[in-house]
Amino acid sequence: MPSSTHTVVLDDVGPVEITLDERGTGQPFLLLHGGGGPTTVSAFADTFATTKDVRVLVPTHPGFAGTPRPLALTTIRGLAQTYVALLDQLDLEDVTVIGNSVGGWIAAEMGLIADPRVSGVILVDAVGIEVPGHPVADFFSLTMDQVFSLSFHNPEPFRVDPQSLPPAAQAAAAANRDALATYAGAAMSDPTLLHRLQEMDTATLVLWGDSDQIVDPAYGRAYAAALPVARFQLLTDTGHLPQVETPQQLIDAIWNCGEADYTDQRDLGIN
Amino acid sequence: MTATAVTRVTHSCHLIEIGGRTFLTDPWFSSKPGYYQGEPIAIAIPDLPPLDGVLISHAHYDHCDLKTFAAYRDQRVPIFAATTVVGEARVNGFRDVTGLDAWESVEVGPVTITATPGKHGVHEVTFVLRAGSEAVYFAGDTLYIPELNQIPERLGHINLALLPTNGLQIRPADDLQVVMNADDAAQLTAILKPELAIPHHYAFTSGWLGNRLVTRSDRDPQHYQDAAREFAPETTVRIVEPGTRTEL
Repeated sequence: MPSSTHTVVLDDVGPVEITLDERGTGQPFLLLHGGGGPTTVSAFADTFATTKDVRVLVPTHPGFAGTPRPLALTTIRGLAQTYVALLDQLDLEDVTVIGNSVGGWIAAEMGLIADPRVSGVILVDAVGIEVPGHPVADFFSLTMDQVFSLSFHNPEPFRVDPQSLPPAAQAAAAANRDALATYAGAAMSDPTLLHRLQEMDTATLVLWGDSDQIVDPAYGRAYAAALPVARFQLLTDTGHLPQVETPQQLIDAIWNCGEADYTDQRDLGIN
Repeated sequence: MTATAVTRVTHSCHLIEIGGRTFLTDPWFSSKPGYYQGEPIAIAIPDLPPLDGVLISHAHYDHCDLKTFAAYRDQRVPIFAATTVVGEARVNGFRDVTGLDAWESVEVGPVTITATPGKHGVHEVTFVLRAGSEAVYFAGDTLYIPELNQIPERLGHINLALLPTNGLQIRPADDLQVVMNADDAAQLTAILKPELAIPHHYAFTSGWLGNRLVTRSDRDPQHYQDAAREFAPETTVRIVEPGTRTEL
């Protein structure tokens, strides 16, 4: 798994250093992790790259996993601009951005930038919008045990006692939590995003675990309904992290989306 | 007078030389999410030759990229277009814009440009350019409709036909077909009986995800060449890479 460091420069932020892991060759996918950090997507990236002809690029959001975060980089939109600049620097074309949880929010903001390098967006149990009656779980007030319960269809195989982790891992988890709070805020949503999604022309696939209790499936359907060119698909017996709990189901849903039956959904808006 | 010739720029964008004049069709010089040429843009806007006119079949972005084409060196270049394009052309600074309905004609020196019928997701016309005994038909990305069969009877023999072949379908609209496919194009070729036919509008892609969620298309122009061999064996079909100049 080659790892590299890239520096992009944003007008309002200055230089941003990005740690990037890559696997595979072929059709490019940018895979964006959620608040749990890059380890929540790394095994999925390995499986995806070894079973399909794909090049999977996994950046670590600056500030996560011990990486530096410029003080001026504080927003999800800033992260989206950072990754569009990274794709430009790497001269990648026809990139599909896959984002889970907060990574999905970043992916949606990347779609809104409408850079031609981003040809598609896949939201996997994404946060970021406000849906009346369907709030994002209050992550920062939950115990880790509660987070595990809300995140998985069957949480038992995935439970970890944070106190049992070595000090370095505990420190990294604390840093991830701080970075998440900085970028996403306590509410993990932007009240303007739902409305702004109406302007997004990028083809979007919205995938959602039917057991997700961090952001429930109705929230996911609202995400898809707000997007002009989107399809929604429910994943079964999985929660907020399908790439962890049912990775093969997620790969199948992505790879076979052209053959999926969407007849129970509203039509896409096509120009 | 120079020979009649066509240089494919990309997609449905061609330079057509006829009657000593040069015309550009359906300008597309940029890309955006969901819209990719799938092949090179062989000539950049600053490198275009002086144009005697620009023909635009309809208002879709991949045929009517006027926001980008506004960088062309002379905004006085005459634009001949479907009537639905006129407003957008003027908004983008073009001053000499003529909207044409089907079977209406204009003269540009020795060249007669006639708008011909078309049918697509939005209002569309196609075009015949004639100078003396030579005529080129430009089909934009129309479906094959019966009205097109009238072209030889009303406008005379066509020597060169530029035809779309990808049979584009819109998945969310029950796979509605909005562009002629290889068999349609071959049957139209049999009606028009040109000496030479060049396919276009086949490399287009909506991107990896867009191709799965939004569009479905045949990206292999060989299918048209094969079908034309059956339906229109007297026509030579030449698959032309962008940037290649093909003389009649």
